[in-house]
Amino acid sequence: MEYFEPKSIGDALSLLSKHGAEAKVIAGGTDVMVDIKFKEEPGALVNIKKIPSLAGITERGGSLRIGALTTIRDIETSALVREKLPVLWDACRQFASLQVRNTATIGGNICRASPSGESLTPLLVLEANAILAFSDGERSEPFKTFFQGPGKSAAGAKGLLTEVDIPIPPAGSKGVYLKHAVRGAMDIAMVGVAVMLTPDAGKNNAQDVRIGLGAVGPTPLRAPKTEALLKGKALTAALIKEAGALAATEASPITDQRSSAENRRWIVEALTRRGLEQTWKAATGKEVA
Amino acid sequence: MKKQLNLNVNGQDYEVEVEANRLLLQVLRDTLDLTGTKEGCSIGVCGACSVILDGRLVSSCLTLAAGCEGKKIETIEGLAKDGKLHPLQQAFIEYGGFQCGICTPGQIMAAKSLLDENPKPSEEEVKEWMSGNLCRCTGYYKILESVMAVVDGKTDPNYAFRKRETTAKIQSLDVYKSVAKTSSD
Repeated sequence: MEYFEPKSIGDALSLLSKHGAEAKVIAGGTDVMVDIKFKEEPGALVNIKKIPSLAGITERGGSLRIGALTTIRDIETSALVREKLPVLWDACRQFASLQVRNTATIGGNICRASPSGESLTPLLVLEANAILAFSDGERSEPFKTFFQGPGKSAAGAKGLLTEVDIPIPPAGSKGVYLKHAVRGAMDIAMVGVAVMLTPDAGKNNAQDVRIGLGAVGPTPLRAPKTEALLKGKALTAALIKEAGALAATEASPITDQRSSAENRRWIVEALTRRGLEQTWKAATGKEVA
Repeated sequence: MKKQLNLNVNGQDYEVEVEANRLLLQVLRDTLDLTGTKEGCSIGVCGACSVILDGRLVSSCLTLAAGCEGKKIETIEGLAKDGKLHPLQQAFIEYGGFQCGICTPGQIMAAKSLLDENPKPSEEEVKEWMSGNLCRCTGYYKILESVMAVVDGKTDPNYAFRKRETTAKIQSLDVYKSVAKTSSD
């Protein structure tokens, strides 16, 4: 295995063009090293950790920009993220062990494109964009179209994710990430649900509701029908029950060693309900009637 | 493909040559002979291989050695100074914080990284911080008690002496004498 430590994005991109499918990008390495040990070793390992300025969290014109090499722990402990993007903060604190959070990067979690990746459903509901570098230039790709299947993303084999651009939701908007797993944060999620709710000015109705479903499809998903059902309405127990059941039909889970597909649908239903109750209460100060 | 590497482990500088696919865990154990750090699950979910890398707790079984050029690494071997145990090591002995001992170096390094950052954590904070460190002897209560003993300044530097005193007291009890007599008969 050849090993490279490019010092710039340009150098990294030329290594990726040169080595093609043989090359594997490594950042924190918490996923890549497991593959190297138990699956196969790539022909060339491109360690991008030495590229300066790819880590950090900055606020820029209504957006938070998070560099691809920012660790999950740095996001979890960022007061700015906690205040402006609670749904992402909530997911990052339920992300594996401290040891892994200290090492894993948000760019790695994204480019791994695992349907259960903890940061992915929050990025979907936040309607964030991936900033991708290619040898012929940079482009911004919404996460809605970025994820193409397990392990497949718009970055492909020759692109490099450099930053995540996350529009800051309107003040008053609340978000939660709910994860179901046997060993709490330590486990890979059986199901993860991200819910973001923005109340109207009078805090009487849900002006906007966004629901992201993780580990229940080939990519992380949104639940558009459920969102449409809730939009503009005051959340009641009956409405939330209906929404949970509808969200379960929008998931397309498989059965694997972690859970059966049927069980996953039930969990989607329960977590969607719970997420709606919690965000409604946090956003309006009212219990669900 | 080999790579030259400069590491600072427990305050000592090392220059080693490693294959690009080597893990920090392997370099510590096999190249530097620092076998205190253990390999458990080898996929980053058990915490046995925890070391402190540039001040942060990491799983050395997932850390690419080649990426550690110029980094500062703390392992369990670096804790005792001048023949004196670190308070955490002392507390784990006094409070029975381990049984088989495989997870212990990782547990202690995890606790150390917490106390480095926050010398007065609550029990809840200790539990959350150390949730990535598994103990299959299910000694979690004792581990928590050991860490809290350090937090609360309850470790006893005269532990060995106190233990000898306690043993002598037990041995002086009539009930002990009769049991000892029965078992030797």
